[in-house]
Amino acid sequence: MLARHAESLFWTGRYLERAEDTARILDVTYHGLLESPPHEAQQSWLDLLVVLNVEKDFVRRKLPLDASAVSEFLVLDPTAGGAIVSAVGRARENARSVRELVSTEFWEAVNSFYLELQARDLHNDLTQQPYELYGLVKRRCQTVAGVAAETMPRDDGWRFLMLGWMLERAEMTCRLLNVRYSELASVAEVDRFHVLLGVLKSASSSEAFRKVYGASMDPAHLVEFLLLARNIPRSVLYCLRQAEKDLLRLGPADELGPPQRLLGRIRSELEFLDVPELLTDGLHEMLDHIQACVREVANAIAFQYFRNLQVEITPVAFTPAAEPVGPD
Amino acid sequence: MSPARSIFDGYDPQGFFDEVIGPTSLVRAHYREVVERLSLLSPEELSRRERLRDRAFRSAGITFTLYGEGDGIERTFPMDLVPRIIPADEWEHIEAGLIQRVTALNQFLDDLYVGERAAVKDKIVPQWLIVSSPGFERHAFGIPVPRGARCLVAGIDIVRDAAGTYRVLEDNLRNPSGISYVLENRAAMTRVLPTLFGSQHIRSVDHYGASLLSALRHVAPAAAGDPTVVVLTPGVFNSAYFEHAFLARQMGVELVEGPDLVVDEHVVFMRTTRGLERVDVIYRRIDDDFLDPVPFRSDSVLGVPGLLAAARAGNVTIANAIGNGVADDKAVYAYVPDLIRYYLNEEPLLPNVDTYILWDEDQRSMCRERLDELVVKPVSASGGYGMMIGPSASDAEIELFRKRIDANPRGYIAQEVVQLSRHPTLVGDHMEGRHIDLRPFVLSGEQVEVIPGGLTRVALRRDSLVVNSSQGGGSKDTWVLSEAPRAQGEAP
Repeated sequence: MLARHAESLFWTGRYLERAEDTARILDVTYHGLLESPPHEAQQSWLDLLVVLNVEKDFVRRKLPLDASAVSEFLVLDPTAGGAIVSAVGRARENARSVRELVSTEFWEAVNSFYLELQARDLHNDLTQQPYELYGLVKRRCQTVAGVAAETMPRDDGWRFLMLGWMLERAEMTCRLLNVRYSELASVAEVDRFHVLLGVLKSASSSEAFRKVYGASMDPAHLVEFLLLARNIPRSVLYCLRQAEKDLLRLGPADELGPPQRLLGRIRSELEFLDVPELLTDGLHEMLDHIQACVREVANAIAFQYFRNLQVEITPVAFTPAAEPVGPD
Repeated sequence: MSPARSIFDGYDPQGFFDEVIGPTSLVRAHYREVVERLSLLSPEELSRRERLRDRAFRSAGITFTLYGEGDGIERTFPMDLVPRIIPADEWEHIEAGLIQRVTALNQFLDDLYVGERAAVKDKIVPQWLIVSSPGFERHAFGIPVPRGARCLVAGIDIVRDAAGTYRVLEDNLRNPSGISYVLENRAAMTRVLPTLFGSQHIRSVDHYGASLLSALRHVAPAAAGDPTVVVLTPGVFNSAYFEHAFLARQMGVELVEGPDLVVDEHVVFMRTTRGLERVDVIYRRIDDDFLDPVPFRSDSVLGVPGLLAAARAGNVTIANAIGNGVADDKAVYAYVPDLIRYYLNEEPLLPNVDTYILWDEDQRSMCRERLDELVVKPVSASGGYGMMIGPSASDAEIELFRKRIDANPRGYIAQEVVQLSRHPTLVGDHMEGRHIDLRPFVLSGEQVEVIPGGLTRVALRRDSLVVNSSQGGGSKDTWVLSEAPRAQGEAP
């Protein structure tokens, strides 16, 4: 397929997932902080901006560090690449440029999502009903994913779409863990339940967690679950395994290219991870490491599939084979 | 037997040549069955079918874009539910005339750009007229097109005058669009009004994609064994993007944009996820000026640097060929009948509209006095832009055009007003006559081939002669009848 089409599909997946996960992280942070004193809340909002890697942009805007300013920034700010509205807009632009490759249903699902966000009074939503807004974003993203799964042929285009989707989710789940784990480890046992539940809910995994770990409130279990569960669609390992499967299908058939090698390396690193050891050695460092590796994989994918030129392209000077002979 | 209230009640041809109602106020033979079947439908039923049609078009995304405000508005191109019907004998005449005309135009262009320029040397067309044409392209000299199929897709606009004579109004030899509507109109008609097709044998149009692909493969460079064909589009923001994508889909080939292509050592490649893949034929829907920033506009980001040199080296075929604009220049149009006589040694089967060339002093002074009766058109514009229709123009407008003609007689032509034929068209709950034209599509591949029918455009505004989509124009499904009666059970 055309490199440009592959790249557009990859980013369609990435931006949709980014919108959804930003909504999830905002949701859990906002509702987790309602009962906190203001100075603690400030620190939490700052942590959030840091893990989303947008704190510099935020500071540059000279906005107050509180729930409404951060939420507005992460939902509405047109200059913040990850802000929900602009992520959905970019997903739509990318989907539009491959309109002929994606199913009509998929395009319509993305387009109507975008149009609905445009039509809503989002300022009002954020002040009155942030829960409703985040719920809407999550539901719409899930609808789009479902429509994609039901209507798209399983060809290379699908694989690039899913690859973007899964790599973004792996990275964002790392971020989600990063933003909440320190709090989880530091709060008193009695408050843990609240925080833990919040994190799990934001990953749509609280019921699944209960089935595996019962009433456990051990932070180690949470890490194990969101990082290493093989059957939970939002766990980092699950996402990387899915991405790896698609990458191997994309080829080249008889050898491992740089993206496959890089992804295989981080995937196996995760598989052989020892959680108690990880928690003593530094979870943050590991989460940062995974994110850096995922970014490296994405770069390798771009190099391998989107900008794969094989030849050096030098501008060709116009040298006519024969001097034009006109009737003048 | 006719129902209590017919949608044809009160229909009046008003003295125009009417496609459906003959001179004795009787329905013409080839329309009898359709009129009968239409009359069986109540106005309410018809408006229900119209809603069905609108839904079908919108959900298929068959839209064109009107620019102006921000995002651009996507509109559907309205198709009238009453089909236009061309009987077999009339079509045979049109088809032969189109094949003749496009054959001569291909020869003329090949003669100009890679030949001896015989038509110029033999003074059939003045040399200065050629070199002063805005569509004349010096960079096209020496660029070969296999089999001389320079007008690979031609759209020849045909009108019918007050006497019912089919005449060529203009040639579109660069990037004629509209074929997607022809195919989609037919698809919509079979779904919305299946009963209308009745027992008549209507020639199908849905082989267009296959015919276009085979024509494109036919003009591939000789060295290409199994040629790779692509459609080159300016991109999603172009108003005809729907058609570009439609054609790529119909042919099963890639729809590429300029940055998807690279030229290396005079060979064109497209950038795929598995590396570079050689391209042999480019069906481009980008104007000459934007094709290649090296010889043409250096600010163009739509084109491919080095593309022209690759074509000149014979490594890729660009269709339609570069420089075709010289042959659809409206002043050169006046010479097309002579070119047919010159190249083919035949009399033109389809006459032109009577046209006056304004650098000829006698013709100009005659036209200057009669501007209020004539149509004046700039030579290089298309789509009805910048023209003046004398009978409906104000004195100031006429005076303005008189000055323009005096200042630049090469830049304009004058034509007699053609009273375009009219066709009953559904307006609310009844029929009214509306002016129509016809754009058949002609493919030059192994042989010159005409897709039966074409795009009938209809001026939806009462009394309007302008059929363009941006100015309230619509379209009609166009049926060419075949002599052979349809076999039992065969689908329409």
